[in-house]
Amino acid sequence: MRPFFEWCDQTAVGEAIRDSRFIFPIAESIHLLALTVLLGSVVVLSLRLLGGGLRSQSIPDVARTLAPLTLGGLLTMLGTGALLFCSEAMKCYENPPFWFKMEALGLAILFHYTFVRSTTRSEEAAASRVRTAVAAVGSLLLWFGVGAGGRAIGFY
Amino acid sequence: MSILEICQWLQDTEIGTAIRESVWWFPIIEGTHVLALALSVGTLLVMDLRLTGLVMKDRRVSEISKQIVPWSMAGFFVMFVTGSLLFWCQAVKAYGSLYFRIKVVALLLAGLNALFFELRTRRGISAWDSDPVPPLRARLAGFAGMLLWACVIAAGRTMAYNF
Repeated sequence: MRPFFEWCDQTAVGEAIRDSRFIFPIAESIHLLALTVLLGSVVVLSLRLLGGGLRSQSIPDVARTLAPLTLGGLLTMLGTGALLFCSEAMKCYENPPFWFKMEALGLAILFHYTFVRSTTRSEEAAASRVRTAVAAVGSLLLWFGVGAGGRAIGFY
Repeated sequence: MSILEICQWLQDTEIGTAIRESVWWFPIIEGTHVLALALSVGTLLVMDLRLTGLVMKDRRVSEISKQIVPWSMAGFFVMFVTGSLLFWCQAVKAYGSLYFRIKVVALLLAGLNALFFELRTRRGISAWDSDPVPPLRARLAGFAGMLLWACVIAAGRTMAYNF
């Protein structure tokens, strides 16, 4: 893995971001705005799965409304995250919270687009209380784990 | 006492010093402040998107508001408590930061926008509650809310840098 991190660190993009005073803070701010959208949509869907929030709409209805917010937030975070990463790839390599974040991120994406998606696709699938509870609690733990890991990168 | 002296006194108090110098409290409070964005502004986003006529057009505005806004309020309570503690332990730095001032102004404007909506625009909600796309003044409140909260978040993040 180390050669890949070294390569990222030496890319023109990484260097340009390090040389600029403004690109890093701007990418950070966009990363955080997208976090609000992504985690916000996860919270609203999880609340609904647990019987709170938008209760008067069906679970598939709420999931359909939120899907573009989740995806848009996620793609924006991946894009800005890649920029931030290139500018300090070697710092990330030595940073345990970064590895924790990447593992949690992989699991969160997988969990969301398999289990959560199939649970929220139809009224029948969403009828199981156990299943919706697992989807909601799993989502919250995984996505907030990603967020906490991300915040910890800077504190480590 | 000038405001700066009050800030200095505040961060020199026992609690301010304890938070600033602790290994765990500061990251935990700061981390909670960041992640509570999802509950506060993240949930409010759904309400603002409905106000602008972009999502859940087949649902009444009041119905969405009743179900979503209490969660946003809970989120803002968490933000206010953690934000106050963060200010407490670094009041002088915050006071001297241009971005903190921008954040406070944007916060006040967001509050005024919400207040104006509650006291005026909402009064006539029965006339447009079921409209897929609410009237201009309601859409403006939604767009202004999203823009102002984005400013609060971006300015808050930028406080960490010295420009």
